[in-house]
Amino acid sequence: MAKKRERLRVIKDILMAIRENRSIKPTRLLYASNLSPQMFKEYINELIEKSFVKIDISEDEKKTFSLTKKGNDFLEEYRVIENFVKSFGL
Amino acid sequence: MYLYDFAIQNREIVKLVYTAVIGLICFLIVIKTNRLFKLSLHQGIRYFRNAFCFYGLAFIARYIFSVACYFTPNQTHFVIAKGVFEFFLIMAGFFLLYSLLWKKFEPEKGSYSSLFNKKTIIFYFLSIIIAVLDILWGTYFFMFALQILIFVYTSMISYVKYKRSEKRSFLGLYFVVMILNLVVWLSNFIVATFLNWHKSGLIGIYFLNIVIFLLFLYAVVRITRKTS
Repeated sequence: MAKKRERLRVIKDILMAIRENRSIKPTRLLYASNLSPQMFKEYINELIEKSFVKIDISEDEKKTFSLTKKGNDFLEEYRVIENFVKSFGL
Repeated sequence: MYLYDFAIQNREIVKLVYTAVIGLICFLIVIKTNRLFKLSLHQGIRYFRNAFCFYGLAFIARYIFSVACYFTPNQTHFVIAKGVFEFFLIMAGFFLLYSLLWKKFEPEKGSYSSLFNKKTIIFYFLSIIIAVLDILWGTYFFMFALQILIFVYTSMISYVKYKRSEKRSFLGLYFVVMILNLVVWLSNFIVATFLNWHKSGLIGIYFLNIVIFLLFLYAVVRITRKTS
């Protein structure tokens, strides 16, 4: 059985999917994140709440997600964060 | 040898410098780890940061009270200083231990507050009890005993993590630092209980403690250094 992804890794995967697409529709992001709809909702709500991701609504009222500066900063520092957590066994 | 003689003759000054150096190291570690926590919201980093925040508070409190006691020697100052120092130091030990264990007790998303939640209330409660017991008995025995237990446990956990990890370099260093911490607390206990706070023993402990905190700082700086 595949090992469960760590929370940090899931967040990184979601943010990477958004960055690669610049802005991405919710359904596409759900597929790209490889999470259940329930889990995806929890993660995306948290990322919006913590200002890593913002919702853009187009004129025809379609939602897309894009990265904020904080989300970009997280991705830039992800390797450092991951390394820190592993190095101290946190 | 000259430095050693100087340290023995000026123990109070050495103690003040030692306290200030460790306080400064903790401050630097808190700043570095706080930035990582703000970005990642990782609970382990959060508890690790809290540990050094409490170590820093312990040494800053001791520095302030040492200066106060130096200029106005007063029994009440000594008692308050001891209680506050012990309380912060025990809290720091608990947080350091909990930073390795938190995943077993709470979800990855973590609690809203890392300083006040159901688990940390137990830490506060135990820390206060230990500090009060030591004050009432006029000893450091309870703190030493608890710290030895904490560092036996953290050494065991970090050893298991080191053995399980594929990339071992810093986990190995972390394990060594935990063992050194255990050695410091055992030495503290022996020097206080059997050697009547022997000056040379204490200077040795101060030196080893500074080495430990410098190793922590080295690891934090090395890992958080940007790799562009």
